[in-house]
Amino acid sequence: MMRPWSSTMRLACLALAFLIVTALAAPVRAGELKLEAILIWGTDDEKSPDPKHKAVDSRLAKKLKKMPFKWRNYFEVNRVKFNLAEDQTQKIELSKECKIKVRNLGKSTVEIYFFGKGELVSKISQSLTKDECLVTGGNAANLTAWFVMLRQVD
Amino acid sequence: MNQDFQLKLQAYLDGELTERDTREVEAVLAGDPEARALLTELRNTTDALADFETDLKLPETRDFFWSKIQRQIQRQDTLAERPTPVPFWRRLLIPTGAFAVLVLVGWIGFKSFGPASDTEAAVVETFLTDAGAMTYRDEVEGMTVVWLSYPAENEFAEFE
Amino acid sequence: MSERALTASEDEPLVKAAQRGDMEAYEQLVAKHRDKIYARAYSMMRNEDDAIDLSQEAWVKGWQRLVQFQGESSFATWMTRIVINLCLDQLRKQKRHRTESIEMMDEESGGVERQMPVVTVNPTERLERAELRQRIDKALGQLSETHRTALVLCEFEGLEYKEIAQAMHCSIGTVMSRLFYARRKLAALLADLKKTE
Repeated sequence: MMRPWSSTMRLACLALAFLIVTALAAPVRAGELKLEAILIWGTDDEKSPDPKHKAVDSRLAKKLKKMPFKWRNYFEVNRVKFNLAEDQTQKIELSKECKIKVRNLGKSTVEIYFFGKGELVSKISQSLTKDECLVTGGNAANLTAWFVMLRQVD
Repeated sequence: MNQDFQLKLQAYLDGELTERDTREVEAVLAGDPEARALLTELRNTTDALADFETDLKLPETRDFFWSKIQRQIQRQDTLAERPTPVPFWRRLLIPTGAFAVLVLVGWIGFKSFGPASDTEAAVVETFLTDAGAMTYRDEVEGMTVVWLSYPAENEFAEFE
Repeated sequence: MSERALTASEDEPLVKAAQRGDMEAYEQLVAKHRDKIYARAYSMMRNEDDAIDLSQEAWVKGWQRLVQFQGESSFATWMTRIVINLCLDQLRKQKRHRTESIEMMDEESGGVERQMPVVTVNPTERLERAELRQRIDKALGQLSETHRTALVLCEFEGLEYKEIAQAMHCSIGTVMSRLFYARRKLAALLADLKKTE
């Protein structure tokens, strides 16, 4: 026969719930985001002229191929992981000519500035929860394209 | 013949020696029948192994073997597409009383989790002359794509 | 064009099609190279069931990673590397549950192979191919996993010493010792097998 929970048991469960929730609510620092920026090259070429460039992994490839763009192949040019506290800004150099500046506006919202050859190209503000990613792209020479993917990582 | 030299002889057979060491080994081989015999033995073993795998055949029919691979691939694809299972901590909290959770979570500030909100549209500003932007949203993939349109010959279009 | 280059160039359209998601193309690649992948797994594992399972797993992994294949090597080589890594992982898992063999202890304490007399009989002489294959099969089965792995990676996979060292997580010196021991042991076993016939 199942016994009803005693008040001691209930208190213990409440304490456990409190511990779990507080532990999850503040993993490192409140509002800090752990981010990853990936510079990607889109092309119809089977290989990148730069041997250091590898094809993006299959999960990423699947995601990119769902975009309404025509390129057949995507190569990872660079990948940078970084932490950003709330209200903090960080400049990331993805390549010699491609730099971004990312600002954590709090509540998982980011502001990204794109620079090309030192000039500000665009600014994008976007909510970036854990399951979301922001992909920004533009034309590159020889009918190819560049993309910068920004997302939260664990 | 010491062990060092024996290993050098093997490396000579495997093409792993520097030019200098190769000349040294060849000089010894010219005058040492024992060394030549050992090299011959090593070479014979390599030659014997050469075709060993050629005759090994997978003991399953083509269709059967492929059907297993295909099933496993489909299973993996299904797992990859499945929605994220309910996390362990959420399942643990449910039996301890939803009311208690709400009270506690409200007290410490639930805003850090936030309700399951729709992702707000990206706000885009462009600064290049004759540039524009298009936004594309894929709810299923959780992906927002912002395409910056400007002539491809612009300076930003290079990687290196 | 060499036979190997011809095979690699024949694979290219199938690989490209498979990379675009064409499973029929991938099935053709499987049909074409399944024996080779299985043979490599069998050489490493010495067990038919394990070899079938691991080669199957290698093909599934190959499909998942196909986008990453850029043609730096032939498709067959790329696949054999996948199956070898799976075999090495499996061997490591199995090793955790087993004590070291006497041969390993011999090899670590050094020198057994130095004392083996040189085998002057050429095992390939006057033996039918099938018979030679059987003898080698039996002899390979008598080597320890570590020695056999070093031998397979060198003789069948054609890896350099430093690549074998990386794969086996040991020094180049250790690779050389293991290889030497394996070859000498194999020569002795083949000679013995011939004597006892």
